[in-house]
Amino acid sequence: MEWQTFLEEPAVIAAAVLALGLVAGYLVGRLNNELLTAAGVPDAVEGTPFERTAQSIGTSTVEIVARLSSWFIYGIAVLTAIHIAQLLDTDMFWFRVVDFIPQLFVAVLVLILGFIIADKSELIVSEYLRGVKLPEVSLLPKLVKYSVLYVTFIIALAQIGIHVLALLILLAIYTGGLVVVFVVAFKGFLISSAAGIYLLLEQPYSIGDEIEIGDQSGIVQEVDLFVTKIENDSKEYIVPNRKVFEDGIVRLRE
Amino acid sequence: MDGLDDVFGDLFSSVDGVMLFSPSGSYYERFAAVEDIDVIVVGTEDEVGAETFVELPLAFDDVADRIKFGIEGALEQEVIEDGDELACATRVFADEIDTISRVRASADDHSGIYDLFAKSRADPGVIKSVLELAIELGKKGQKGKPVGALFVVGDAGKVMNKSRPLSYNPFEKSHVHVGDPIVNVMLKEFSRLDGAFIISDAGKIVSAYRYLEPSAEGIDIPKGLGARHMAAGAVTRDTNAIAIVLSESDGLVRAFKGGELILEVDPEAY
Repeated sequence: MEWQTFLEEPAVIAAAVLALGLVAGYLVGRLNNELLTAAGVPDAVEGTPFERTAQSIGTSTVEIVARLSSWFIYGIAVLTAIHIAQLLDTDMFWFRVVDFIPQLFVAVLVLILGFIIADKSELIVSEYLRGVKLPEVSLLPKLVKYSVLYVTFIIALAQIGIHVLALLILLAIYTGGLVVVFVVAFKGFLISSAAGIYLLLEQPYSIGDEIEIGDQSGIVQEVDLFVTKIENDSKEYIVPNRKVFEDGIVRLRE
Repeated sequence: MDGLDDVFGDLFSSVDGVMLFSPSGSYYERFAAVEDIDVIVVGTEDEVGAETFVELPLAFDDVADRIKFGIEGALEQEVIEDGDELACATRVFADEIDTISRVRASADDHSGIYDLFAKSRADPGVIKSVLELAIELGKKGQKGKPVGALFVVGDAGKVMNKSRPLSYNPFEKSHVHVGDPIVNVMLKEFSRLDGAFIISDAGKIVSAYRYLEPSAEGIDIPKGLGARHMAAGAVTRDTNAIAIVLSESDGLVRAFKGGELILEVDPEAY
């Protein structure tokens, strides 16, 4: 009977919970580390500034995320233990903290994720644009990076319960502007590609045919999604596919 | 042993430039740190991010071909000049650079092997894929038997007008491009068909089963090559296309441009 009462002592239960939490936290951290490594995260984040910063302080992105999940569980264990042991009598306060911690955890996770995605997309975009040797182009990757970061911050702030309506409106205006610019800039491309799909599917003319589009005539050399290349003895025309629909096609028979 | 440096030193003393063939990153860094010397990297890919880079379309197995191509490419890109003395460092036996060869760049020995890729109508990548395809076909044959094949690449519109179908075109209304994963198998099966494959500038396979009818008058190709090679030579003179031929009899892959034989490779060597 002595054992029974001893085990029901709040302090003992609290200690057990604490020990359990420590073990669980450690295990979850290890598991996370293994899982992330197996999922190829180290390769995916390689070369991003975040990873480099992490490396310079002797850790890595995977380790930070794994550590974070451990600390999260440690935190919960400690709080639960304190609650059970009734060391403090400020129930309301603790409940709010317990409520708040998971959200903070998610927010930090979102931030880390956002930083990595932002860096990564900057890398990808600049890699993609490397062939274009124009100084102004280097602005574009930065723009992509900060756009991603902005969205990340909004999500993180919303997660911990800060009002983000104004920021959201700003985001909406920004994306709206982007869409408008995109549509205006690529209108010709969109129409041409719609026509191109028809041309590729139906093949009203194919390579080797002699055709006339508007006042340009010659032998078809290439048909792709956006343009048709026709060529005669002296000239090579690159005709946008929308012109094919506007002017119609004349097939020349000898 | 200090005498050895003097003797071998002749190989690289007072050269105008160094050509590194597919160097590893650290190897290149060491050269880049050396002052007063032009370093030109040659390889199938620019792995080290070098300033001056000449792209090889194939990892030529023959060292002489490899160096010849590198030099012609560098001359064409004007990174070296006619008469420059070059130390060419390349790999022969090991997986890293183990050989230095001193070569004098000469614009007279122009074989056109670089022009074949860089200055043809068709995309260099497309020519490269077709060449690889022909080499692979030559290596394996069709079901173990040697096959012949003729690919006409580029200027497809004109080639189509200078040829006629032998039968229905299996590629009609298809959108198959060389380099697509399925193509190797497909072309292997189709290679038993007679006639030529016609491929457009961008790599679309326009037709198979084509009978080429250019005029073969005045075509001068080595004696002993058959009708397939004659047709290939003739079609490249009449149009701006290039032709890649896999010979059924001797198994070699040959490339023609402007009516002339430019490149000859043995598939077994790759």
